[in-house]
Amino acid sequence: MLKFILRRVAVSAVVLLAASFLMFVLTINSGDPLKDLRESNATNKQQLIDARIAFMGLDLPWYERYWNWLKGVGGCFTGQCDLGVTANNVDVLSLTTQAAGATLRLVTLATLLAIVVGVALGILTAIRQYSGFDYSVTFGAFLFFSLPVFWAAVLLKEYGAIRYNDWIATGQYQPVTILVSAAVLGFVLQAVLGGDRRRRLLTAGGTFAFVTVVMFVLNALDWYRNPMFGAGMVLLVSAGAGVVVTALVTGFGNRRVLYGALTTAVVGVVAYFVFAPVLLDPSWLSLIGLFLLAVVVSLGIGYAWGGYARRQAMLVTLVTGVLTSLAVVFDILVAHWSSFLGLKSRPISTIGAATPNFTGGFWESVLDMGAQILLPTVLLTLISVASYSRYTRSSMLEVMGQDYVRTARAKGLSERAVITKHAFRNALIPITTIVAFDFAGLIGGAVITERVFGWKGMGALFADGLNHVDPAPVMAFFLVTGVAAVLMNLVADIIYASLDPRIRR
Amino acid sequence: MRITRAGAAVSALAAGALLLSACTSPAQNDEADGNTSPTAATVEPTGSCKPDLGGVETADGNISYSVGEAEFLGYNSNTPETYSTYNTAVTDRLIGGFWYWGVDGSVCRDEAFGTYEAISEDPLQVRYTIADDATWSDGTPITYADFLLDWAAQAITTDGTVTTDGSETALFNHISGLTLGDYVPEGPKADSADAKSFQYDYERVYADWEIQISGPFPAHVVAEQAGVSTEQLVEAIHNLDMSVLQPAAEFWNTGWLSQTPGELPDPALVPVSGPYTFKEGGWVAGQSITLTANENYWGTPAATRELTFRFAPADTHVQALQNGDLDVIEPQATVDTVAQLEAIGSSITITTGQTLTWEHLDFNFGAGPFADSLPLREAFAYCVPRQEIVDNLIKPVDDSAEVMNAREVFPFQDGYDEVVEAAYDGRYDQVDLDQAKAKFEEAGATAPVQVRIGYSAPNPRRAEEVASIKASCDQVGFEVQDVGSADFFDTVLPNGDYEVALFAWAGSGQIASGQNIYSSTGTQNYGKYSDAEVDAAWETLASSADPEVHTEQVKIIEKKLWDTLYGIPLFAHPGVAAYSSTLQNVRDSAAQSGAVWNAEQWSRAS
Repeated sequence: MLKFILRRVAVSAVVLLAASFLMFVLTINSGDPLKDLRESNATNKQQLIDARIAFMGLDLPWYERYWNWLKGVGGCFTGQCDLGVTANNVDVLSLTTQAAGATLRLVTLATLLAIVVGVALGILTAIRQYSGFDYSVTFGAFLFFSLPVFWAAVLLKEYGAIRYNDWIATGQYQPVTILVSAAVLGFVLQAVLGGDRRRRLLTAGGTFAFVTVVMFVLNALDWYRNPMFGAGMVLLVSAGAGVVVTALVTGFGNRRVLYGALTTAVVGVVAYFVFAPVLLDPSWLSLIGLFLLAVVVSLGIGYAWGGYARRQAMLVTLVTGVLTSLAVVFDILVAHWSSFLGLKSRPISTIGAATPNFTGGFWESVLDMGAQILLPTVLLTLISVASYSRYTRSSMLEVMGQDYVRTARAKGLSERAVITKHAFRNALIPITTIVAFDFAGLIGGAVITERVFGWKGMGALFADGLNHVDPAPVMAFFLVTGVAAVLMNLVADIIYASLDPRIRR
Repeated sequence: MRITRAGAAVSALAAGALLLSACTSPAQNDEADGNTSPTAATVEPTGSCKPDLGGVETADGNISYSVGEAEFLGYNSNTPETYSTYNTAVTDRLIGGFWYWGVDGSVCRDEAFGTYEAISEDPLQVRYTIADDATWSDGTPITYADFLLDWAAQAITTDGTVTTDGSETALFNHISGLTLGDYVPEGPKADSADAKSFQYDYERVYADWEIQISGPFPAHVVAEQAGVSTEQLVEAIHNLDMSVLQPAAEFWNTGWLSQTPGELPDPALVPVSGPYTFKEGGWVAGQSITLTANENYWGTPAATRELTFRFAPADTHVQALQNGDLDVIEPQATVDTVAQLEAIGSSITITTGQTLTWEHLDFNFGAGPFADSLPLREAFAYCVPRQEIVDNLIKPVDDSAEVMNAREVFPFQDGYDEVVEAAYDGRYDQVDLDQAKAKFEEAGATAPVQVRIGYSAPNPRRAEEVASIKASCDQVGFEVQDVGSADFFDTVLPNGDYEVALFAWAGSGQIASGQNIYSSTGTQNYGKYSDAEVDAAWETLASSADPEVHTEQVKIIEKKLWDTLYGIPLFAHPGVAAYSSTLQNVRDSAAQSGAVWNAEQWSRAS
């Protein structure tokens, strides 16, 4: 295995070197770096042109410019990275660090969401193949996949930011809006859950009634401007999550696992009260510490309840513990919403990664960053969900038709066990490769998304550099994306091996 | 039955959920509240300079503006690498000076900073007096030393000498090169390093003397960084002592650049002389930079405490304004943006106007059919539909747009009518195809005469201009070809591969900058035009400091350029600005700086 990895790394290094050479030559020949000066009518135009030629080394032969760049990068191995400066005399290394940071923040959440939602949709549509739900999701997937990003972004800003902000000023839904959204939700839910006509009608009717009542009550409470969630709801949600996770992983046959999950939820809520002082005025460090503690405690509960199914119980309590932590964070954020609105009356911005000079506390700042990242995340997620759900669906369908799935059914396993144990795990194998490559691609930055939402990420670094025929930032972009692609490729291979025992031999 | 039971279950569940949510969680807390503060008065502006707002008190609050996505580059906007409208938009708020550009591109004096006067016009001698209370924000008075360093940065060569013709390698990396040293080799003179008054004695008369001297950088900071006192730095400049000047120049060239975005310079290094200063922690890389009112500013203080420049691409501006993320924007002046802005409604205010950039058609005198044939040029001028171009392409953006009939003055400037009246009789105002055909025949040309119109592509507006010219001029016997290309400035224009060039000059506000374009030896005379009378008039203009002489010579030049048809001016580019209607005193400017020129007067009505 080690030999395999080393060989792969060595080959990748050679490929990177050759590609960097090609990239450099292409970049410096991609346009005229003196374009803006040629159009200038400054009296000392010639001097300015000479100054830029000297500054950017335009008079040197191309191989010398490439060598100079390569020498600077070579310094990275001895701890003295020099990626050069841009045409505006800005240090490219710090520029790249900042751009990579911004891009990671932007795409990580979107990628995770897209994977979770996409894979879930893919499985559901595979199970309900050729149902109305399947057709709707397929239609949606193709629609979103073919969306022009800049156009969708403008629409999102109009409805998700401007109109929403106008609405939140009062924060009341019209009765018509309530009835329509309840009807739509009811329709969607019955399509997903399926069943015979009576059951569908029941699902739709129940959802409709529930949503209508809740939305009217929320209106009456002015909930959208002064929302509250409450520890009771946290308990309900965590317990519900525990039940669902248990159902998916082990089924209710083994009661000890279920009790483990419920214990985790209760302990989580109790811990919420115990650690309230820290949680309400935290730092990122203390939050991470508390999260790790939650993980350890959850595993402990699973271990204690586990019995003969210890491994499964620990998995269930772990997932329940993580979901409980998220519910707690959600509750805290909801409680800070009204004070956040007091600081920023139009919460969703159309540009930027954070509100300039925002003065709130820790949680208000988190809300602010969340409000800023919301729209680009929605956009990126919509686009990648499409491909994930399609891949998962086809891969799942293929697996469901395999002999061993039929065998599993024949020996009397429950449908849950067939799907989660036998079909799903095997369907994941091809998805891994796609996810790894996608992530490498996303670090390259979503050029258009970054631009329309005013983020300065890797995409902007690349585009600006290319516009000014400035090789340093373009090459820095190439370094990061190239190395990411190579690394992710490697990671995909390793995960592949762990998922598919056949490859290990 | 079942449905009723299900309904009951649903209601119970909903009620239960609400009950549960009523339990307080540890995270409930109180609301924050905002506060209001006094605002500056609104004054209807008259003239092109900043009106006096009376007793302004700085109000708490923040106004957000964006020039574009370019990152802030540093305190020193005067190096070729950092000089841009993006960077000066910020630094012009930090550094005060004797004058600033008014809304029509005229020079406005800032009496709060100081006064100046040409005590003699030939030889040119200018006396500058800095206001007594003018100080840097760190308390050091603004003195002669600052202005001497300003001169040194534009005069001293790497050999440790004062420039003789401005072509040597400069010691300081200054955007203006060594022009100032070329005109004033002796430098400004004063009694002592801390004098508040000094004098510039020009070696030869310079028409644009007024805009040469503006706001300096702090010499005391440079002196300290070079390891000497301010007096010693002044001595070193007088004696050209390179042991001091080398480190001083080193600091000047690099010490005021912010090479790591987001890291503000040490406040001790960047004292300011303007109404704003850097706000501590106000710069977030890739996002925005915030300035805060300079507490120690001696002049009229800023009307609003904080001014934020957000680095957002121009195509995001309209929605950002609508959403309140930006308060003042200057989007691209297209029909689409104006329509988009108008759709927003009364929450924003739109202003449109002309800018100091003007579009024109220039003939190629180096080669081709127009080079030696005035009648043929006249035939072309008669058929170019100037009014139609303005009506169809510019008026929808800016109502006040009109056909431009001069080159050195703009329609919105004083003296335009006077110059046009003297230089041009209005014969090319309307398309006259009969006249054009007559001239075409007089030139003895045989149709079709190929006319390649070159411009920098892609540019939809210019493509449409060429299309309307083609529709009109092809009837006369020309065969117009659209040869717009991306390398227009790079190869087409220098090589002369065109008959007519379509492009725009950005007005610099300088009086004599046109000499480079219209005189026989001018470096920007791409069309190789040559006329002895025009050359002589430029010579006279450039070597005079008298505004009346300038006007007289401009009339002569314009008339000759019309008579010999150097080219055909079309229109001044339109400009659009829009701002939140809660703001007062926002006023767009035709000058390159744009709407931000009077940012310290912006205030928000409460």
